[in-house]
Formats: sequence, structure tokens, C-alpha cells
Amino acid sequence: MNKQKDLSQPLGAIVTFLVPALTIYVAFTAYPVVRTIYNSFHEVLPGHPNEFLGLQNYVTLYNDKYFWGSVKNTLTWALTAPFFEQFFAILLALALYARIPGARFFRIVWFTPVLMSFVVVGIIWMWIFNYDWGALNVILRAIGLENLAMSWLGDPSIALPALILVTTWMWTGFNMVVLLAALHSLPSEVLEASELDNCNWPKKLWFVIIPMIRPTILNLIVLSFVGKMKIFDLVWIMTKGGPLWSTETVSTYVYKRAFEWNSFDLGYPCSIASVWFVIVLAGVLLLTFIFRQRDKLEY
Amino acid sequence: MASFSRSWKHVLLIFVLTIYTAYTAGPLFWVALMSLRTTTEIAHNPYALPETLHLWKFSEAWVNSNYSVYFANSVKVVLSAVAIITLVGGMAAHCFARYRFPLRKVLYFTIFSTIIFPPQITIIALFQILVEYGLYNSLVGLMLSYVAFQLPITVYILESFFARIPADLYDAARMDGYSEWQIFWKVSMPVALPALSTTIILNTILLWNEFLYAVVLITDESKRTLPLGIQKFMGDQLEDIGMISTGLMIAIIPVVIIYVFFSERLIQGMTAGAIK
Amino acid sequence: MAFVTLDGITKVYENSREPAVKDISFEVRDGEFMVLLGPSGCGKSTVLRMIAGLETISGGDLRIDGERMNSVPAKDRDIAMVFQSYALYPHMKVRDNLAFGLRRRGISRSDINRRIEQVAESLGLTPYLDRKPHALSGGQRQRVAVGRAIVRDPKVFLFDEPLSNLDASLRVSTRNELVNLHNRLGATTIYVTHDQVEAMTMGTRICIINDGKLVQIGPPMEVYRKPVNTFVAGFLGSPPMNLIEAELKSGADGAFKLDIGTQCIELPEAWISYLQGKSGKIIFGIRPEDIFLSGQDMKRGANAAVTMTVTAVEALGAETIIIFELEGVDTKVFVKADRYTRANIGDTMPLSIDMGVARLFDPVTTKVISNNTQLSG
Repeated sequence: MNKQKDLSQPLGAIVTFLVPALTIYVAFTAYPVVRTIYNSFHEVLPGHPNEFLGLQNYVTLYNDKYFWGSVKNTLTWALTAPFFEQFFAILLALALYARIPGARFFRIVWFTPVLMSFVVVGIIWMWIFNYDWGALNVILRAIGLENLAMSWLGDPSIALPALILVTTWMWTGFNMVVLLAALHSLPSEVLEASELDNCNWPKKLWFVIIPMIRPTILNLIVLSFVGKMKIFDLVWIMTKGGPLWSTETVSTYVYKRAFEWNSFDLGYPCSIASVWFVIVLAGVLLLTFIFRQRDKLEY
Repeated sequence: MASFSRSWKHVLLIFVLTIYTAYTAGPLFWVALMSLRTTTEIAHNPYALPETLHLWKFSEAWVNSNYSVYFANSVKVVLSAVAIITLVGGMAAHCFARYRFPLRKVLYFTIFSTIIFPPQITIIALFQILVEYGLYNSLVGLMLSYVAFQLPITVYILESFFARIPADLYDAARMDGYSEWQIFWKVSMPVALPALSTTIILNTILLWNEFLYAVVLITDESKRTLPLGIQKFMGDQLEDIGMISTGLMIAIIPVVIIYVFFSERLIQGMTAGAIK
Repeated sequence: MAFVTLDGITKVYENSREPAVKDISFEVRDGEFMVLLGPSGCGKSTVLRMIAGLETISGGDLRIDGERMNSVPAKDRDIAMVFQSYALYPHMKVRDNLAFGLRRRGISRSDINRRIEQVAESLGLTPYLDRKPHALSGGQRQRVAVGRAIVRDPKVFLFDEPLSNLDASLRVSTRNELVNLHNRLGATTIYVTHDQVEAMTMGTRICIINDGKLVQIGPPMEVYRKPVNTFVAGFLGSPPMNLIEAELKSGADGAFKLDIGTQCIELPEAWISYLQGKSGKIIFGIRPEDIFLSGQDMKRGANAAVTMTVTAVEALGAETIIIFELEGVDTKVFVKADRYTRANIGDTMPLSIDMGVARLFDPVTTKVISNNTQLSG
């Protein structure tokens, strides 16, 4: 008996629908990933055949203090910024949830920064941080805190926190909108707005509200973590990793080693990228795992 | 007494929220003001309102500083990338949601997990590959990279929507005599219009703002996209705050216009990946 | 003008060993209204989907008008289907929903419009033609779904539980409309349902499916009165047939007796022929309307007397259902009495059973022991 054409699985149609996406995926994502990992074991110079180096790039990497510095900066960013964003986002979301007049307006305005390009945001904040006429120092001087006015992006110990402030400015509104949506999807009896007025509301926040929207919060933290682990544009615009490597992130370091330095070797930056790739994946898995564990313990 | 303290709290709350609003919107507002003032005026007082609206600065930037070229490049790359992503992503998502076939889960998970990949893992090799394909320093190469970059999140959002379309609808269309391809066009895509518009908006905004791929894959001045053009302009004319502001506004205005008309859709699109 | 033949139809899903549909054969005659009835998950919808061409047939032959259809795609079978969820295209107006199936078939635009007007008129949908499905009520949507099938004028209509999403009152009137429609069109129809009232009232014949197998097929009253096994007996009727465990004994004189708990009843002489040589455990089946309280109307001769105790009374208005307990028997016995019946819990009363319509089932095979055709309903 000849095999019948399967009516619920039209193979021809499946192939037709998938081929374009898979072609693009393989050509511009999968193949580059494989090629990057391949490069990481080689010296890749333009006009020369690739020379196999074994693990040498990784050994160099292990002893590269600039790399470790950039790892430290990036991790600092990725492990602090998500929590700042969440903290302010939760407070703002609660404020709007309590039926404040003009809530719709506030929500729309607060969301705006995330719609802007990092290039735009970076340039604006460079000016805000300007020592002589930047808004931050102007305000500090105006309210008599003159001794706090400083060169925000020029001081190696302040530059990174200043950049973290910028990402917080940018992403808090985004997180707020997502949390607000989560709050609105909760049963309203639990969160009667009037009850938020009683003096015990910090307790209520911690024991009632946060546990209920926790899946959303955790999801946002992971998302924010991933975003900060990738961060490039903002640093590139504002500090190029300076001063004194103090804002160097892994992404900017990879870029510098690949396209700025005169070494011309693409193998070494690829080994950085490969290591970082593994670290980001591991970080996401770890965070998800930790959050899952905690969920299991409580239910 | 209680109501007094309540309304007092209310006032305080609104005050704090207003401060926060000034903090978010202030910087953008400031740039908008500066874009209409000359650098000399700004140097005199960075925070003054424009005395005369120097609208000529926009035509100056547009014509003499090449912003028209950057703007056109951005429009070309973004629109064609978004069109291709929507079509190709829609087809793949339809396929994942609608058919059962071997390797379905493996393929879907592979594409899905790409969402969290740091772009560095592909960017260097992508540079090499585009050089080899002869697509380096070309808008087509950049556009294709964008398609690949945004494809996973698009497939993810659309798949979860397509999966909610009842299977009966497809069966009905089959009984009505339509082929799989026609069903995709006449049933899947029109029914998924809300999800499609979400991904279209998300991709448009993200690609309009994209910088890393552009800076790596484009060198010619005539092929720069807006973010790249602004960055280079700033690098050349660091002190010309007034003109840089005008350039920034050229990048911001389209986004703001879209936002004014479609604020809810835009918010929905941007947060689509975050809400489960 | 169409008849549908299923010949040993089998369905095995890819990742399960057990077939979902096992070797089903029957024929739906031209113009017949065939109801496939069974509990949910029994495979009746799978049978329908195989007929429609939405599922591959794993084994056996499907023929329409004698022509083998197994590998003909759904669109070329000239079959229309009404889905449980109606499956209306949400982005199209009612008019386009109706037209969608015609546009693929090379019918001229004016012809399409004429047919839509006609169908809309006959279903009372004319005022809604320019609305989208979400602006319609449940009943209206259901009618659009039916209209979409009719407008194509197919050889065969398939219905997959089309009334289950309607509320109770609408269901009754729609049931009626569908029957009238079938009478008017005279088209061959296959109708899947798990609702026995729909099956009884609508079908020319009922085909009962359980666990992927065809159990019984026949006109509604025949299936109702003469269930071939305990499954059919227990599935049809509300409340269904009482199935009471009993003990069969042959008396000294060759007659048979049935021990039901502590009581004993005589079996009619007519049964002797096929009970010959049988004894031991058996299942005694009797419909609730075939047990009578003393003084209530009883038309038949052969009867047996039992005494039972009332444990519950359900007065439904039109009739009263009394639930009895039989001494020494675990199963409760349901009795349909007329609406004037008064009974109190704890009352013990004599009842008579119409033995002419009683049935005996084998407790192991669950099959009916008699198949005496002279017991007509």
C-alpha cells in the first residue's frame, strides 16, 4: 500500500514557510556564532590564512587585566541597575495605581526615554553631566551644594555610577509600565486603592503586592540584566570606556580590540565574545534557576 | 482630620510625580529648545528659552550636514528590514504554531534562545562574512543583519499569538477550498493584525535607534544611518551644541510623532517581550 | 444525491500505539441524517474529521458515491462542515464569511451574491450581512456557520456538536430549525454529538461509538429500546436504563428465576429458549419508565412484582423520578412515575416491572443476552 499524503502535515507547506526564516537565521546568526567560536582559536589577520593557536587566545584573555576590568564594570552594571530600575518602577507604578489624576499623562511621559536611541540619550546626558554648564552641576550650585558639583564623566570613580544613572533614567518608565499592567491584572479587592492610604502600606507592599507581581518583577530583572550585559552604545557615545578604563564594558572592549586597535587580529576579540557569550547564558540560566527555586520553596 | 491628611498626602504625591516627570521629560525638552537656538546663544545661557525660532537650522542640518542622506538611509533600511521581518517572521511563526513536524520544538527553541545572545557573539564574524559576500558597507548588508537580529523576538511574539487562533478556523478555510499559502494570507495574517502591528512598531523603533551594527558594518558617509550620522557629526563638531541638538531632534521627531498618534500601541509593542 | 460509505476506517495517531478509531464500518444513505453519538473522547469527532478530509485515514476505505476518497484533499470532497466553535472568520463580515468558500470555486460574482442573499434570507441573516462575527449573538453566529455550509450546496453536510455552545432554550429551537432545514434540503448529513436528546430527536439513524469502536447503529427508537450492551443501555435515556446485578437460576420445571437481592422474580416463558444452560451472575436491565407504582397505568401483560424502599424523590414537574433501594442490591433503582405521585423517603412499596421490555446482559462481555426481535418498543 502506498503511503498516503498526510493531510494534517503538508510537508511542502511547512518547508516553504520555514525556509526563508531558517536561511536568514543560519546565514546571519548561526553561522556567525560558529565562525566566532572558530575564530577564537585562531589568529585572524586580513590577507593572511588563519593560523591555529589552540587555547592561546584564552590564556591571553585570562591574563588580560583590561578584560577583567571590563567584566567587573559590566557585572557591576548588570547586577545593580536592574534593582534600581525595579525599586523606582514599583513606587511609580503604585502611585499611578492609586488613581492619581493625570495618570495616563504621567505614564505616557515616563515611557518616552526608552523610545530614544542610545545615541540621543548619550549625547543629552553628556551635556547634563558637563562640568561648566551641565544641568546637574547648575542645579547643585543653585541649591548651595556647590562642593558636590563635579566632573561626572571625568572622574574614574564617578563615571560608572553616572552611566548607571542614565540607564536607570531610561528604563525605569518602561519597567513601570509593565508593572502597572501586572498590577491592573490583579483582582482589585486585594489592592483597593483606598487601603493604600493607611499607614501600614509599606508592609502591605512588601507582603501582599510584591509577592503577587513577583513573576513580572523577576522577568523584568532578567530582561534588564541581559540588556546591561550587552551594553555598548551608551558607553561608546559618552565615555568610550574612559576615563582610565573605568567605564569599559565587555562590549566596548570587544569592539576596540576588533576594530580600533592596530592589532588587526579578529581572533582575540572573538575569544572575548565567546567567553562573554557563555557567561551571559550562564547568568540567565542561573537567575532563572534561582528564581524558580525560590518559587518552588514557597508554593 | 483623616480627609485632611489624605488630601495633603495626595498633594505631596502629585508634587513628587511632577518632579519625576520633569526629570524624565526635562532633558528631551531641553534638547528641543536648544535645537532652535544657535550655539552662540546657548553658550551665553544654556537654559534660556529661544528668543527667535531659528528654524533655518533644520534646513541647514538637512541640506549641508547631510542629515537628509542619513534620514533617507535610515528610512530605507528600517522600512525594508521591518517588511521582510514581518513577512518572514510571520511565515515561520505561522508554521511553528500551526503544524506539527519533526524538530519543531528544537528549531523553535534554538531561534527563541537567540533573543538573549549578546550581539558581540555574531558581530565580528558578521563583519567578516559581509566582507566576503560583498555586502560590507552596504545598506543591503545592514538591512539583512537587522532582519536576522530582530527575527527571534518577532517569531516569539507572533507564534504565541498564532497559537491562540483556534485550529477550527484553519480547518474551516481548508474545507472552504484554500491552500496552506492562501490560508496564511487570508486567515492567519489578517486575524493576527494586532500582533503584527505590535511587532512592526517594536521593530521599527528598535531599528530606527540601532547603533552597534551600523557602526561596525557601515563606513561610507553616504551610507550612514541617523544614529551613526549623529555620532560622527558630534565627533567632528564637538563644540557645536546647537547644531548637534538640531540633529538629535531630526532623529527624535519621527519617533515622537508616531508616539503621539499611537502611544498605547507603541507601549504595547515595546513591552511585548516583557509581559508574559 | 450522495451516500457515504465507511469500510473498516481506522485512525492511529503518530505517537500512540492504541488506535483512536478502530475498524468502523457503516453507510450513510442518500438524504439520511446520521448521528454519531458517544461520550467525549470516544473518537466520533475523529471519524467526522476523517470524512471531512482534515485527518488522514490510517486504515480502511472512505467512499462517497462509491468513489474512494482517502487521498482526496478536503477541498475536493465537496463536503461542508459546521464546527463546534463555528470557526467564523473574525476579520470578515458575515457576507464575506458566506462568500469565502464560494470564491475558490470559480463561481461568478453575481451568482455568489445571489446565493448569499438567498441563504441569508432563509436563515433570517439578511439584516446582519454587513456585521462582523463579534457583533452577533451566539445564536446568530451559529446560523452564519450553518449558512456558510448551505451556501456551498455540498454533497454532504458534517456537523460537529454545533449546538453545544448555545444556551438551553436556544438549543431546543435551533435543533428544530436544523431538522426542518434537513427536511427541506434533503441533503446527506452526518452529525456528531454527545447529547442523547439531540441524537434521539434529530437522527434518521444513530450510530453509537464508544472507545473508538462502533457499538450499535439503528433508528433512534430501536437503539433506545434494544441496546446491544450495557454501555448503550446506560448511555441513552435520562435517567438511563437501570442495570441491576442479579443471579439467574433455573427452576425445577425448566422455568428461569432471577434473584434480585433478597427477592426473586419469574422470567417470562418466552425467554426460556435462549437462556437454556445459563445460570449465575447476570445484569438485569430495565428502563425507569418500565417500572410501575401500583395503580399507575400499565399496558403490558408480562410483569413481575418487587418491593422497594424510597430513598429520594425528584419532582421534575412533568414527571416525578423516584429513586429506590432494593434490599441486598447496591445499585439504586430509578423509576419514572407520573407527576401526581406522592412518595416519602423511607416508604416501602410494591412495584411491578414490565418484563416484556426487560433485558438481560452478560456481566463479563456486557452484551445483551437476548436478541429477541419480537420485543418491539
